[in-house]
Amino acid sequence: MNVVAAVMLVLGFGFVLSGVIGILRLPDFYCRLHAMGTCDTLGVALMIGGLALSEGLTLTSLKMLLVLVFVSLANPTATHALGRAAVRAGFTPWTAPRGEDEP
Amino acid sequence: MTMSLLLASVAVALALVMLLSLYRVVSGPSIFDRLTGLGLIGSKMIVLLLVLGAWSERVDLYVDIALSYGLISFVGTLVMAKYFEATGGPAGGSR
Repeated sequence: MNVVAAVMLVLGFGFVLSGVIGILRLPDFYCRLHAMGTCDTLGVALMIGGLALSEGLTLTSLKMLLVLVFVSLANPTATHALGRAAVRAGFTPWTAPRGEDEP
Repeated sequence: MTMSLLLASVAVALALVMLLSLYRVVSGPSIFDRLTGLGLIGSKMIVLLLVLGAWSERVDLYVDIALSYGLISFVGTLVMAKYFEATGGPAGGSR
């Protein structure tokens, strides 16, 4: 059981790290929002699930599962609210220059 | 590798990753980039609280703090997104 929890912790940290690299390196606000919404939700859910698995079946691990459900509902909602606010504030999405593949 | 050492190294790595996303908060070109970095720091702070609780074996005390921190961070992000949607961000910050 502890091995599975450790693997879930390290895997979730890998997703979180890839999300942060995306938020540092991507060229536009909408691309950064994509990195935040996908990688961060899955990474945080995996890490909290690993911690709850290492805790066993107690009231504390049930509260951890409540935190997991709340995070996986709230993080996409916050991402969508930020994206909608940026669209209504008049941001235009970034596109690659014509004739080039790389920015 | 024991579980305690793994938890301590994961906590240190999470703190470093939060420092990296603080860079986006400080030097984001627009106000929504700063809000994105702030939301990223908030969702990592929940995991950091749970990892620190599991490391010090008082996780029954830290899980309530993590839950209320997540609620406040979520409501704050929603309110700031609605506010800057109405005002369009501070002058000079938008692109």
